[in-house]
Amino acid sequence: MSLPRLASLLFILVLLLTACTPASPTTPEIPTTAALSEPTDVPTDVAATESVDQSISGKLVIYSGRSEPLIQPVIDAFKAEYPEVEVLLKAGSNSEIANALIEEQANTQADLFITTELFTVQSLAQQGIFQPYRSTAADQLPPEFVDPNNNWIGLTLRARVIMYNTDLVALEDLPTSIFDLTDPKWKGKIAAAGSTNGSMQAQIAAMRQLLGEEKTEAWLQGLLANEVTFFGGHTDVRKAVGAGEFALGLVNHYYYHLQLDEGSKVGVIYPDQGEGQLGLITNATAVAVVKGAQNVSAAQAFVDFLVSEQGQKLFAEQNYEYPLLPGVSLRDGVQPLESFRLAEVNVAEAALDSDATFDLMEKLGLP
Amino acid sequence: MNGSDAPMPPVLVSPLQRLRAASNRLTTRSAFPVLLAGLAGLVALFLAVPVVYIFLRAVGADGEAWQRLLQARLWKLLGNTLLLMLAVTGGALVTGASMAWLTERSDLPGRKFFRWMFALPLAIPAYIGGIVHLALLRPRGGMLPRLLENLLGQPVYTPSPLGFWGAAFILILFTFPYVYLLSGAAFRSQHASLEEAARMLGYRPLRTFFSVTLPAMRPGLLAGALLVALDILAEYGTVALLRYETFSSAIFVQLSGRYDRSAAAVLSGVLVGLAVIILWAELRSQGRARFTQMESSWRPAPTIRLVKWRIPALLVAGGVAFTSLLVPVGVLTTWSIQAVLDPETLRSVLHSGSMGFSNFAWNSLWTSFLAALLAITLSVPVALFSVRHPSRISRFIARVCQVGYAIPGVVIALSLVLLVNRALPFLYATPFIVVIAYVLRHVPQAVRASEAALNQVSPTLEEAARVSGRTPVQAFVQVSFPLILPGLLAGGALVFLTSLKELPATLLLRPAGFDTLAVRVWVWASDGFYVQAAPAALFLVLISAVPLSFLLRREQIFK
Repeated sequence: MSLPRLASLLFILVLLLTACTPASPTTPEIPTTAALSEPTDVPTDVAATESVDQSISGKLVIYSGRSEPLIQPVIDAFKAEYPEVEVLLKAGSNSEIANALIEEQANTQADLFITTELFTVQSLAQQGIFQPYRSTAADQLPPEFVDPNNNWIGLTLRARVIMYNTDLVALEDLPTSIFDLTDPKWKGKIAAAGSTNGSMQAQIAAMRQLLGEEKTEAWLQGLLANEVTFFGGHTDVRKAVGAGEFALGLVNHYYYHLQLDEGSKVGVIYPDQGEGQLGLITNATAVAVVKGAQNVSAAQAFVDFLVSEQGQKLFAEQNYEYPLLPGVSLRDGVQPLESFRLAEVNVAEAALDSDATFDLMEKLGLP
Repeated sequence: MNGSDAPMPPVLVSPLQRLRAASNRLTTRSAFPVLLAGLAGLVALFLAVPVVYIFLRAVGADGEAWQRLLQARLWKLLGNTLLLMLAVTGGALVTGASMAWLTERSDLPGRKFFRWMFALPLAIPAYIGGIVHLALLRPRGGMLPRLLENLLGQPVYTPSPLGFWGAAFILILFTFPYVYLLSGAAFRSQHASLEEAARMLGYRPLRTFFSVTLPAMRPGLLAGALLVALDILAEYGTVALLRYETFSSAIFVQLSGRYDRSAAAVLSGVLVGLAVIILWAELRSQGRARFTQMESSWRPAPTIRLVKWRIPALLVAGGVAFTSLLVPVGVLTTWSIQAVLDPETLRSVLHSGSMGFSNFAWNSLWTSFLAALLAITLSVPVALFSVRHPSRISRFIARVCQVGYAIPGVVIALSLVLLVNRALPFLYATPFIVVIAYVLRHVPQAVRASEAALNQVSPTLEEAARVSGRTPVQAFVQVSFPLILPGLLAGGALVFLTSLKELPATLLLRPAGFDTLAVRVWVWASDGFYVQAAPAALFLVLISAVPLSFLLRREQIFK
């Protein structure tokens, strides 16, 4: 048998290779708690550093609810600015990471938490998971996106839209409201993100506040009755709509742009703009410094970077999001939010009710 | 026994000496076995803690959580899980046993080649196979439907890999090798006289097969089936990918849902309860399997000529090998080449997450290796105690050590997060918690391997060494250990292989910035970036093939 011999040869080769290139600056045997020895010095003023900053160093542990491809470019840009900082990322769903943060309260691992909606960050702030930090840019942001106690600060806005495959849907058939998605004519033709997705959770929480439990439940039941396919994340949704696997997809607006970039025949609807309708639902992403963080100075530098013009531009350019810092322009093709009627949600109030949102999803068995 | 007679003085033969030696053994029996029992007990305790903890959490969960789950979810999940388990177990039995019959009992051309083709899918984690088949077959968006549409100019219906049937199909493809290997060995060792007797009684060949050949294989088939069933209960990646909800995936969703662990604990408790029942059946079937004994007049059953069925049989065997091995490896290789050729993709493959490719490959290797080493070390006292000192207690301890089979990765992760963070906070969020999870889950394989190895070494060898003045520890180290070493290594290779493929526990327990090959594949593929995921997946499959081929060559049919 030459096959196993070949395989074992390959194995030895691989072992040699991995032994020769000691992978990363750190040996993997050293756990992240090695950062314990890092002095948590008083934050120095890091505003407006032109070139490479070497005064901030050590490990920076980021827990991110934004999926890895949506945060990696920003981390790369940050590392170019602060080469001495080693960024360790753990990406997952908002609530999964929120669970970890709660679990780790007495044994803090993360320095920063980045989330894709405000409910999680609000409810964690109420539980005392974060430490206050007011970035220098905080004064320039719209006040509703900065926590009054400075526990978190908003980064970008995203709109909940319906994207469609232009081959599969005729213009006159297009839905105009998210409630059209429960129309039986779309049965089996819709994709959306499931109950673990932060943006979907936030949409349901917002609808509960604006419309009440009953109407929200009826809407969700309508989606289930319409055999909507629920994916784990929106990338799957956009790719499936782009490929013509589904006619419609309920997504954040930038997924439409990302799919358009791949050359798919897709269009977008900003729903519920009519008189008496709900208005466009938006979510804000946010960042917070974790209480007990072991590298506070790097965490604060990262927050400053995210709300700086450079960081905000990255979000707008790379991911078509709506930056919160005034004066940063939208990427070409993104329709300004000012042109839409927005749904007005009291985030702080909805955050108090987050358990009821989970109860509702569980009761209906939302995948 | 020629190794032991040199140091033995001839006087030993005298009855008096023999008595003294026996009494000598008796007096030391009180010290060494107690130590052994203590060690084995500690190992069993360590392995049982997570299960007991989860049960306590489940029972202690407030009535409201139970009520909510009973109302909406529990019955549906139970139905889904059992249905999938039955379908996959049945499918794997039929596929595995018939392929084994073809390679061991028929004159199928290329049998030697097919043996490898049917065993090597064990190197492919089911979720990676699922990713490949999903990309190929996905309705409308898949590569195959698109190709057909381009060729024929209109959409063609192709079976969907999603949902129940898809999940069952994929899981059968990647679990049937368990049954294949076990029943292949059974077919091979079957006695010719069995079937001859049936034929002499006037049975037709088909009736002979169903009333004699197959029943004789029952122990082997049953063991294989129950292993597959336990595997399906624990399966997370494939069912999550193909959107079929079972207990494992529902627990995962619960863990990333509300800020309350009691619902997850309740689901875990039920799942572990289910698995323990199957494990119990499996352990019983293990005991029965020992009844198949060989007589000294053994000769192999004759090869059956396929004649006009040769071509159809070849097509079926080829089809199974094609879908379970050649397609995944072929597609992964193509994607990997694409990834390497495209500079931007290559960059994201080499520097993704916080670390580079070599970093997470290295992480996979060292955590799995450490887990294998620890699992083997822990298994030795347990195996020694249960094989050399059989008693009710040692049997109980050995059974408790099998419990890892019944705790899916998701459940291990949940209980470790809750336990370690409270009791051993310094271990939390280090790679070692991942290693602990691997050990807890995979020690049973090591215990079985060590027991099997020890069973083949006669205790008289150790006794001889004892009589010639060695302490029990010396006797073991100098005499038995070298003899059981190959068996221990096989157990280690098995633990290494299964740890490499482990996904859910690694996903939940890994510290920030700590990725393994399996995690990287999953993170990329679940975002739909298949080409990026391919090099890591292919690499994982190739490394897994090394311990696997080592294990296979110990099997009778690969010699």
